[in-house]
Amino acid sequence: MEQTTKSRRVLIAGLGLAIALDTAGQLLWKVCVAGLPASAEPGPIVLAVLHQPLCLVLVAIFLLQLFNWLKVLEHADLSYAQPITSLSYVTVCLLSATLLDERIGLAKTIGVLCVLSGVVLVGQSKAQEQNAASTRA
Amino acid sequence: MVALPLAGITLVVASSTIEGFAQVCLKQSATVVTEKRRWLWLGIALFVLEALLYSGALRSLDISTAYPMGALSFVSVTLFSSWLLNETITRKRWLGLGLIVCGAALVV
Repeated sequence: MEQTTKSRRVLIAGLGLAIALDTAGQLLWKVCVAGLPASAEPGPIVLAVLHQPLCLVLVAIFLLQLFNWLKVLEHADLSYAQPITSLSYVTVCLLSATLLDERIGLAKTIGVLCVLSGVVLVGQSKAQEQNAASTRA
Repeated sequence: MVALPLAGITLVVASSTIEGFAQVCLKQSATVVTEKRRWLWLGIALFVLEALLYSGALRSLDISTAYPMGALSFVSVTLFSSWLLNETITRKRWLGLGLIVCGAALVV
């Protein structure tokens, strides 16, 4: 089962976009949650969400993420694509260090290296190993 | 906190398991010819359920415990890809997955 170059390109772009959207979503989520009232009642929280433009941007990001993810899954095994999105752990960690001045200690550095090497290993396998999924109805 | 927050841990494990099912539904939606929408909505419904369970878990667990445990979803997704979608998980993928889960636990 040989992959065409075009399909490969679409897959790489889709995975890159998935990681970027995931990272943006996570950072934005924190900002949004920080701006919400401390109430435990769902009513006021829903109202506050609707009045905060950033939260609506977050919803848009989630929708885009879903659409993009479905595209990615057309071109790759789930067990290939999903582990690769763990790169967002690395990008979130690095961005929170740069933007939010969080310190990256030894444990986090080792963690980042582990995730990176894990992703390299998964990435070395074929995006679509032989499987019966694509022919299922 | 004296006792182990078992309820919280159970909820995180449950939500990670549901993530595996949800992802399988999305994969089905992307690949099947008919009933694409049904799989998509089922997947979305499962994601909502996962978010609710996870929020419940955060009531009794610190986020520094809950978030790394959430990396278990990488394992459940891979297991369900193999069982339900018949994907071949090579040894390299398993090894990579192990490193990712350990790394994710350390990064948070």
